[in-house]
Amino acid sequence: MSGPTRSGVRLAGWRIALRLARREALRRRAQTALMLVLVCLPVLAVAAAAVVWRTANVSGAEGVERRMGTAAALVYGSGTTEVLQSFDPDGTTSWVGEEEHVSTAAEVQQVLGADRPLLPIDREYLSYATDRGVGDVVVTQTDLADPLARGLFRLEDGRLPRTTGEVVVNPALVRRGPGLGETLTALRRSADGETRTELRIVGIVESATTRDDAVAAVLPGAIGMPDAPPQWLVGGAPVSWDDVRALNAVGLLAASREVLSDPPPATALPPEVVSDEPADETALTALVLVATMVLLEVVLLAGPAFAVRARAQARTLALVAAAGGTPAQARRTVLASGVVVGLLGGALGAVLGVGAGALLVPVAQRFQGTWFGPFEVPWPLLLAVAAFGLAAAVLAAVVPAYSASRNDVVAVLAGRRGEGRASRRSPVLGLVLIAVGVLAGLVGSRASGASPALVGASALLSVVGMILLVATAVAAVGRVARRFPLALRFAARDAARHRTRTVPAVAAVGATVAGVIALGVALSSQQAADERDYDPQLAHGYAALPIVGDADPATVRGVLAQRLPGAEIAEIAGVRLAGEGTWTDLSLDLDGEPFVLPTFGSLGSSFLVGTTVPAAVGLAPAERTAAEEALAAGRLVVLGRSEASPDRLRAVVRVTEDVTEEVVDERSRDVDVTLVHSPAALPAAAGILPPALADELGLTTATTALVVAPTISEAAREDLSEALATVAGTGELYVERGFEPDPAVRILQWVLAVLGGVMMLGGTLTATFLALSDARPDLATMAAVGARPRTRRRVAAAYALVVGLVGALLGAPIGFVPGVAVSRPLSRDDDGATLLAVPWPLLAVVVVGLPLLTAAAVGLCARGRLPLVARID
Amino acid sequence: MNAVLQLTDVTRVHGTGAGEVHALRGISFAAHAGELVAVMGPSGSGKSTLLTIAGGLDQPTSGAVRVEGTDLVGLGQQERARMRRTSIGYVFQGLNLIPALTAAENVALPRELDGMSVRTAREEALQALEEVGIADLAERFPDDMSGGQQQRVAIARAVVGERRLILADEPTGALDTETGEGILGLLRARCDAGAAGVLVTHEARHAAWADRVVFLRDGVVVDETGTDRVEVLTERADA
Repeated sequence: MSGPTRSGVRLAGWRIALRLARREALRRRAQTALMLVLVCLPVLAVAAAAVVWRTANVSGAEGVERRMGTAAALVYGSGTTEVLQSFDPDGTTSWVGEEEHVSTAAEVQQVLGADRPLLPIDREYLSYATDRGVGDVVVTQTDLADPLARGLFRLEDGRLPRTTGEVVVNPALVRRGPGLGETLTALRRSADGETRTELRIVGIVESATTRDDAVAAVLPGAIGMPDAPPQWLVGGAPVSWDDVRALNAVGLLAASREVLSDPPPATALPPEVVSDEPADETALTALVLVATMVLLEVVLLAGPAFAVRARAQARTLALVAAAGGTPAQARRTVLASGVVVGLLGGALGAVLGVGAGALLVPVAQRFQGTWFGPFEVPWPLLLAVAAFGLAAAVLAAVVPAYSASRNDVVAVLAGRRGEGRASRRSPVLGLVLIAVGVLAGLVGSRASGASPALVGASALLSVVGMILLVATAVAAVGRVARRFPLALRFAARDAARHRTRTVPAVAAVGATVAGVIALGVALSSQQAADERDYDPQLAHGYAALPIVGDADPATVRGVLAQRLPGAEIAEIAGVRLAGEGTWTDLSLDLDGEPFVLPTFGSLGSSFLVGTTVPAAVGLAPAERTAAEEALAAGRLVVLGRSEASPDRLRAVVRVTEDVTEEVVDERSRDVDVTLVHSPAALPAAAGILPPALADELGLTTATTALVVAPTISEAAREDLSEALATVAGTGELYVERGFEPDPAVRILQWVLAVLGGVMMLGGTLTATFLALSDARPDLATMAAVGARPRTRRRVAAAYALVVGLVGALLGAPIGFVPGVAVSRPLSRDDDGATLLAVPWPLLAVVVVGLPLLTAAAVGLCARGRLPLVARID
Repeated sequence: MNAVLQLTDVTRVHGTGAGEVHALRGISFAAHAGELVAVMGPSGSGKSTLLTIAGGLDQPTSGAVRVEGTDLVGLGQQERARMRRTSIGYVFQGLNLIPALTAAENVALPRELDGMSVRTAREEALQALEEVGIADLAERFPDDMSGGQQQRVAIARAVVGERRLILADEPTGALDTETGEGILGLLRARCDAGAAGVLVTHEARHAAWADRVVFLRDGVVVDETGTDRVEVLTERADA
């Protein structure tokens, strides 16, 4: 009789292992619940995020109704005679025709059939009078009562417009301006001036697309001819891809319901609109790195729970060995726990994630200006996320499984601890990996040939290297624990004795800290580089409002004075560049070559005119004195950082006609020049002319800007901008606040610290309470010899401190490896200089603060009562 | 008569240098088919070490260990595990059963591990449970059984699949006298049916069930006697 085959034995082994794992999961419910939470939570979070993301993301097919109502297609002119488009004209388009062309409804019907119902529809950005000034509004001109337009808006109150004097608006507009029954003043501003149209608000509608922006709808012709290509909603039979191509051939673009809902194969696309952009290597590397690090983190966090389960199963595994089980069978049995917990945790996390996503969608919608699409559950993605949970659980069980298979069966059966010796090769390999990681980081962040993949590899290699060092570090702490107080000594030695349980917890903390420090270093360095590269447009605290059109400076000044009572307002005189249909250009030449003077021009003109230097320019006192002396001497003052310091330059004035771009006048003369060092690489103006010199050059002097001091708050600036929008011809109000760190960076740093704290707390709590449960007999012995109840609390806190501190101390230096590698390209300037900014507060919080805080929290949460159980081992 | 278990000049040394401990020092010993051999001796005499080496759970430092003619010393871990699935059965003092498996599943474990189908393994397990008189408890989990019932299941697991060598390490240590006698009776019956048994015990009353008693002290066989001597010991113990 032939014996069982090797695969048959293996299959039978898995069957028994899965049965044991399933039953163990049921027997040890509390422990299983903890393992499930560790696997389930990340799956839940990612699944919920996936649901929110997919719901928020309005696909072409989902957005059909909000784009074209019930119509078969939305067709609009491209402005030329022939065009190519992708399935969605909002994607890639390619203009074939070179002549300008205004499409007509007849052309649409010529292609799609004369009997096709067409509903003209136009959308235009206009302004409207708000309570504070002027705001922007998107106005749709169409007959909303037409069945084709159904779905574009939802009537909330009142009725739809019946005459051209009526309008419906959305709640966002009402919040800032007139309401139902009141009058909306629509403003169309163009080069020809401003047209005002008074419309009576007869209804409140909710746009199918926009939630936050002001929206209005009127009948065609209510506000004059729009300044945009004509559009039509096309009714009737579905518009096929062939129809779309035929429309393209006459210069029309079309969004077809049929094509968007059920796109033809990609081969149907004209090659001109096929995107052949290579995949973004950096984004891909970042995605792979983040996914790997998250997987590693979950694996490390769940590792201690699997280690404790494996220890609890030690006798079972020994009995299996006594009954003929091989070491491979022991591995299978522990891995099967990973399979069972991973399957359950993954499925549970995905299902709960859908629920959490459903709860989060309305919350996320509040922060989004456009309406989300219909609730969508991306099942294939959730399946992948659940598989991620399964993979994490199985990987978390790998090391405990391997350790369990090396247990001394005889020792376990005799009731002794069977944990094998620590590997001596691991720390050596760890150091080698860290060295390779450092090298990869340096090579990957070179100025020439930087490689995101190498930087990613450096992060991964150094973290894995650190993990391999953990056992040695924990053992070292156990060895030096002799002088520690009792609780700390006990915790340190217990941690060292139970490596399989301690190492993953410490490694989880270490990996978290490494990640937080890496991102912290990168963000801080980038911020430091941004600060280094920041170029102020004005002196700190000043605000400037350029006057670029015909605005009356006195009117603008009046608005400013009214809104900013008590503020110091000064008019800045400069060369007026725009004339009556002409443009004046003043340039300087040195030996026949242009003497380039870069400037922000934030004071409304490149050249100011005056005998003094406005304080808003921000010159140092000595420079300012020098500049004013030069102006008094009739010299042109040039602001900048030019290395050349010419004494004379040729000033060239060219007057160009706006429409024909023809130079109608050109004059030049040599002028005496004084170069004054500007603190900014791009100063507010390129130079200052004495009034006499400006006259000599035939330049017109006017008020080109108004300057306000002291500084204006951001809220006041927004209010002021809205008020100033009522005055035509004013530019954008700019307030110089100096370098302001991106609030997103600060928020991100906080998020990092909090995330680090949560992960550290999670890892430490898991390990500590598993250790306490393991240490019951030892604690009972302590109670028996007279230990106080608070001893348990102290032991718990000490255990948390050992896990947290060892992890943080190992992780922090490792975090610098990818941190520096990422910082170098982020902070490199034009000269190749790089910056390294160490986020000391973050470092202190993560390395010292969080372990202490975690230990304190654990000490407070731990039960004080000592167990009164007999030793069983 | 062929020996089912034959230990020849077996030595087992734990540790090295100053920490060296000699658990067994050149022991030679045999158990034949149909024979139950009791191994007695004080704590630390090497009784349990002898048993773990006989079962292939541990390897001797030197010497030979043959089970049904196969030298365990020359076998790898996989092959020794296979021997435990097919030829050697173990019974320990307590906590013999895997708590997550039912009685039938515990008994069927070696057969299933050997690649047998669940159904066939279960049939054999039920038969083995029938032999030890607790077939009606087949679906119970160990936590729902008394200590005596658990040991019966352990014996059923040790004999399932017609295994010829049963190694019992103080199988009655955690049981009351009456239940313990019942367990030893089962062991005796199995040996009478043709298996060879080795019973480690430190109670003379239990050793009386054996055909032969081997006395160990400091890892050396100091005496070996027949049943007469056992009876004397038993009387002495009763007195």
